[in-house]
Amino acid sequence: MAAAVGVNRPGTAGSMEACVRHGRGAAGNTVKVKRWDAVTSVLATPQVLECGVCEDVFSLQGEKVPRLLLCGHTVCHDCLTRLPLHGRAVRCPFDRQATELGDSGVWGLKKNFALLELLERLQNGASTQSGMSEDALREMGECIIRCDEDESHTASMYCTVCATHLCAECSQLTHSTRTLAKHRRVPLADKPHEKTLCPQHQVHAIEFVCLEEACQPGPLMCCVCKEYGKHQGHKHAVLEAEANQIRASILDMAHCIRTFTEEVSEYSRKLVGIVQQIEGGEQIVEDGVGMAHTEHVPGTAENARSCVRAYFADLHETLCRQEEMALSVVDAHVRERLIWLRQQQEDMTILLSQVSTACLHCEKTLQQDDCRVVLAKQEISRLLDTLQKQQQQFTEMADHVQLDAGIPVTFTKDNRVHIGPKMEIRVVTLGLDGAGKTTILFKLKQDEFMQPIPTIGFNVETVEYKNLKFTIWDVGGKHKLRPLWKHYYLNTQAVVFVIDSCHRDRLMEAHSELAKLLTEKELRDALLLIFANKQDVPGAVSVEEMTEQMSLHKLCCGRSWHIQGCDARSGVGLHEGLDWLSRQLVAAGVLDVA
Amino acid sequence: MKHFLRVLTQFLVFLYCKCLWQGLKFVVRKVTGRCELQRICYNNKPGARRTLKIESSLKCSKSELLQSAVSVHPDAVEKTIDDIMVLKKIHPDTNPQLGISLQACLFQIVGYRNLVLEVEKLRREPYDCENPEHEDMLMQLWKALRPESPLTGRISKQWCEIGFQGSDPKTDFRGMGLLGLHNLLYFSEHDKATALQMLHDSLQTKLSKMSKAEWEKKKFDKAIGYSFAIVGINITDLAYSLLVSGALKTHLYNVAPEMPSLVHFQQTFCYLMQEFHRFWVEEDPCDIMEFNRVRNKFHKRVLKQLKNLDMALCPHFTASDLHLVNL
Repeated sequence: MAAAVGVNRPGTAGSMEACVRHGRGAAGNTVKVKRWDAVTSVLATPQVLECGVCEDVFSLQGEKVPRLLLCGHTVCHDCLTRLPLHGRAVRCPFDRQATELGDSGVWGLKKNFALLELLERLQNGASTQSGMSEDALREMGECIIRCDEDESHTASMYCTVCATHLCAECSQLTHSTRTLAKHRRVPLADKPHEKTLCPQHQVHAIEFVCLEEACQPGPLMCCVCKEYGKHQGHKHAVLEAEANQIRASILDMAHCIRTFTEEVSEYSRKLVGIVQQIEGGEQIVEDGVGMAHTEHVPGTAENARSCVRAYFADLHETLCRQEEMALSVVDAHVRERLIWLRQQQEDMTILLSQVSTACLHCEKTLQQDDCRVVLAKQEISRLLDTLQKQQQQFTEMADHVQLDAGIPVTFTKDNRVHIGPKMEIRVVTLGLDGAGKTTILFKLKQDEFMQPIPTIGFNVETVEYKNLKFTIWDVGGKHKLRPLWKHYYLNTQAVVFVIDSCHRDRLMEAHSELAKLLTEKELRDALLLIFANKQDVPGAVSVEEMTEQMSLHKLCCGRSWHIQGCDARSGVGLHEGLDWLSRQLVAAGVLDVA
Repeated sequence: MKHFLRVLTQFLVFLYCKCLWQGLKFVVRKVTGRCELQRICYNNKPGARRTLKIESSLKCSKSELLQSAVSVHPDAVEKTIDDIMVLKKIHPDTNPQLGISLQACLFQIVGYRNLVLEVEKLRREPYDCENPEHEDMLMQLWKALRPESPLTGRISKQWCEIGFQGSDPKTDFRGMGLLGLHNLLYFSEHDKATALQMLHDSLQTKLSKMSKAEWEKKKFDKAIGYSFAIVGINITDLAYSLLVSGALKTHLYNVAPEMPSLVHFQQTFCYLMQEFHRFWVEEDPCDIMEFNRVRNKFHKRVLKQLKNLDMALCPHFTASDLHLVNL
């Protein structure tokens, strides 16, 4: 980027201006520079580079850090996160060009380092700009000490006696006399520290440090301060020792900081590693021959994706298979039905021809002479008889057969197709005597409360609910009848087991009957709906308590079951139970459609 | 508009029919010189034929007095009859028979209504273990059916022997209440022979007709006959529904010359038990699971019988029990 070239040559205001111009030229309208012609004022305010979207100033880090898009535009991080995603890409708000985002999203986009550097320089420049020349000189002075004899020379040594900085030349010159030649001169680097003088007693150097809590803001003292001044009688320590102590502690701290830094950098290294593991990427691998070549290592993100893909591919396959099966069922149904209809058509044609033949015969007979008519009487009557019989058959058949072109289709939970107006479901209600099986049945059937009398044998009723047709077999619960229950298991999709909730002492009996039921082979795939009946009676066992007491979770493990509190007298809970049954049997969504 | 016209037409037809009927009645009355009640009483022999017609005539009457006559208290029947005679301007001296016939009919009608109420009250009264009267009746039932073996306890498996579902008969009386118990007790005390026969039959499988192998199979199923007590409760339900639907009117009007009472109902129950048992044997179902089918068939048959206005469902009591029954 062109800006980067400009930024690398900082210094004067002129080059700064050039760089800003470059930046503007390169980033187009992304980086807006305010009052760029008034360069000095620009430099005076560091807040010059703004995001073109939110018009907030870029910052070196955090929300407002500038990031580069593929098209070259720079937008702040915050605005990028707000851009709408198109698949995995964002569109540049200026030229609509798409930039693909990696797994890390906006975080994965490169920062605009050129801009960042510029920003940093601008900020630093602004703070130091005012007294720049003096500052520069002072800085020079600090590193280049002038010779005290000649301003134009640079000092290289220090005379400890005269306390002057000298260059090698001047040192020779000034210290050429015998007395002066004895002066000890050291290289500038070994120049001893000057002793700091006490601000109150100008002649005395500071030698002690006060240890009193109250004097901590100004602990330094000379011998006069110590003996007679404001630190008189205070606890004190020798300056040098104290300084050494503090130095040691600083060293300790530095050590601590070093380990802390190490920890932080270790952690960030780990972060980088984790990010790499998730994203995956190229890795240089040496093969057996020792030839290095790059290899793509899939990240965990990729692995997860492929896992999902495999799962759904499997689902697709299953669905396709099921669809084929369902279609074949429909095909078979249609074929069967059409064959039957064609057969009927054929039959009707035959019937028509028979009838017309008979008519023809009758007409012929009519035109014949009397004798022949009389002779034909028997034949005619036989003909009429057969006609009548056929007519009777026809009307009987017409009564039974409903001609309807519709092919209503419903789906079961396991995606099997069912053809017919109502899905028929065979249900058996079982339970101890007096549990309320018959009452529930008649409540569902007629929505009225029947006076319960002991059922001898069974009742069977069909109950239509939504688009389901339940054929409910209600078998008496009498002790002697229980062995007969198994005759009603055949082809049963669901068992409704009714328990009397207000009869606590019979719960165990119900439990053992239920346990016996669940071992039946014919009921292996049947749904189990448990009605905890008579919930309205005060003192009835609650559904939770019953589940607990009969350890239903353990008992019904591995089959789809449901316990529903109900009250057959008012009908509360019964339809919820049927709802559950239909939800189990019918694919989701189909019920609502019907 | 169309709808309105249809309604109007219906209304006019209704008015026309009503006028026609009223006119016809008026003409007949003028010609014969008798009112409708008189005509019914003279033209029909006593029993269901007469009472049923009187009942419908009273119910359809314009006069409020006649309408309310069917629901008066039994004590007020005689006074109501006098009022009717006055209203219809019938002199008691010229028609001495009419007053008596009308009174008998009205007693039957009122009695039937009261019987329904009484039976309903009994049915609604649940069996109460705390009530010594109820407990006593239950014990009597046991003694009547199983005189030789004493009951081991109030709650006992023995109850299953006489056909209750569990060890506590209380649960089986839920629907029919005390009515079931009353009926069973009456049946087993007054028609002991039949009751014991039924109980005996219910405990025995049709052994004679079955081969050894079949018997083994049956025993395996434990599907033995039907259970006396709960069949009794089921038949009580049958009798109750017959009574409430009004089908038993035919029988009771024929049987009871005055007010039908609970005894009549209980005797009807005895009849139904006897008949049902016979019917069951005739039907010869293969196991108890066919009970409801047989019961429905039996119900239809009884209803058909009751369509016949001369029908009376009188039980046949054996000679030994006859002294207990005071008809």
